[in-house]
Amino acid sequence: MAFLQIAHLEKSFGTTRVVRDFDLSIEKGEFVSLLGPSGCGKTTVLRMVAGFETPSSGAIAIDGRDVIALRPNQRHIGMVFQAYALFPNLTVAENVAFGLKVKRMPADLRAARVREMLALIGLPDLGNRYPFQLSGGQQQRVALARALAIKPHVLLLDEPLSALDARIRVSLRAQIREIQRELQITTIFVTHDQEEALSISDRVVVMNGGVAEQVGTPFEIYNRPATRFVAQFVGTLNLIEADVIAPATGTVRIGTTEVSLGRPLPAGRVTLACRPEAVSLGAAEGRPLLLWAEIGKVEFLGAVIRLRAQAGRTALSLDMFNRPDTPPPAAGDRVQVSISPADLLVLEA
Amino acid sequence: MGSPRFWSWAALVAGVLYFFLPLAGMFEFSLRARRGEYSLQAYANVLGDPQFRDTFLYSVVAALFTIVLGVLIVAPTAFWVRLKLPRLRPVIEFITLLPLVIPPIVIVFGYIRLYNTSSWLPLTGTAAGTNLLLVFGYATLALPYMYRAVDTGLRSIDIATLTEAAQGMGAGWFTIITRLILPNILSSLLSGAFLTFAIVIGEYVFAALLNRPAFGPYMVWMGGNKAYEPAALAVIAFGITWVCMGVIQLAARLGRHNRVQR
Repeated sequence: MAFLQIAHLEKSFGTTRVVRDFDLSIEKGEFVSLLGPSGCGKTTVLRMVAGFETPSSGAIAIDGRDVIALRPNQRHIGMVFQAYALFPNLTVAENVAFGLKVKRMPADLRAARVREMLALIGLPDLGNRYPFQLSGGQQQRVALARALAIKPHVLLLDEPLSALDARIRVSLRAQIREIQRELQITTIFVTHDQEEALSISDRVVVMNGGVAEQVGTPFEIYNRPATRFVAQFVGTLNLIEADVIAPATGTVRIGTTEVSLGRPLPAGRVTLACRPEAVSLGAAEGRPLLLWAEIGKVEFLGAVIRLRAQAGRTALSLDMFNRPDTPPPAAGDRVQVSISPADLLVLEA
Repeated sequence: MGSPRFWSWAALVAGVLYFFLPLAGMFEFSLRARRGEYSLQAYANVLGDPQFRDTFLYSVVAALFTIVLGVLIVAPTAFWVRLKLPRLRPVIEFITLLPLVIPPIVIVFGYIRLYNTSSWLPLTGTAAGTNLLLVFGYATLALPYMYRAVDTGLRSIDIATLTEAAQGMGAGWFTIITRLILPNILSSLLSGAFLTFAIVIGEYVFAALLNRPAFGPYMVWMGGNKAYEPAALAVIAFGITWVCMGVIQLAARLGRHNRVQR
């Protein structure tokens, strides 16, 4: 049995069902992200695990023990909030020691644990400061130390990086992952930022409308999205409308171009999808789908250059590496682009 | 037409004169107890009067009990309403405003009728019971000020998240209220406490009708029987109120952890 088991979890506020038949199993030491747009129910799931919301139905078990009937202060869960939630009247050290004091840990052991936690987050000398004397990133690290100090069964992170600026967000997420790996603590991380979720998670749960649309590794989520929503929500996606002219061989017509996908398709009209990095400039071996397109916009993103092009009625984005010896085409240029059938996803209607 | 700066100063000076001239006149009058010279005789008479000391001490003790009772009633109520029953806030606010629209004499007659010696709870039958009733009455009178002060303090902190953070670390309600909520609204609590103190020190109706030896009835008695001492007493009462206001300001400044977070 998984360390954290969520089964058939439901939550309604009035007549609105915000979480529907949600299942998730998390192994001990695993880092799982709940990813989805605002209002998809990801925070509600997290709050039900923490005990701050009561499920309408379903079960939550931690280490084999049903925790539904337990109050939040009995679940032994560490939580980090978006708004830091440090206690303003307590110093950094007192904040970290708070949970230990509640559990009546002897003062000497408590002090040692606080020192250990402050060293872990890289702020060993700031124990005497008050929260208002710290930057946002430092406050969130203290909040993490406070949550970890009590050695919780599960660590819950509710959009902990959202209030921070981009540079600190990237460094802090790496630090969170490093600490999580070091302590081997089972972690659920809620975010609406796909890059964040894909970069630090063992597995990602993509949620939409209260439902887990797909659970998988970041590689699976990005490269083999199970639903149209996942495909569109995670990463940038080119959508190509096509007519299936031979369902058995999966031959489709896009404009005037015909190509076989090599797998059976339903008859009629389908929507194909591919990532920008799957579209190449010019013809190439093994990429039989060739389209003429007119470059509309050239976006310089540093190591990558993103081209926006129009192929008939289909808008395409394609990425090319920024090589100083290969200048990108200019806006208005007419170019040929190619796609491998293997890179084309068929989206359900 | 003058500059806006001139008119700002003119308004300030007019306001200061409006408020301070009567006070200055009263202070000057209080110094005339001895014919033909200024002296502090009236103040000496007041401060040397054992009745002054007794009534003032009585009111101070009553004020302290009122503050404790007010905090015990208002702080958990306001916290719970903000956290769990936000829809009830307008109702609670309305209830806390009632002491401002119901005259104290109505309230005290209600008390006397409900708790007289022939009632089921004869509080007025003993001095201790009447003192208790007086503190209840004072707590009711101070309710609008105490509630608003505490509610303003609670508004300045994210009590929902702080409560959840504390619960997540195993804290129960008592720990949350005493170790987190009260310390974080300390300056607001002190504001409410000193407003309560100022109200109790000068209150007359409750103390007079319940026949308790409080400072308010003493001031009224003094006003009806002496010439210069009432003015000295009024100056002393103003002084006490101002000291309370000063302490409120000081408390607000000392609450250093309440600064806006970066």
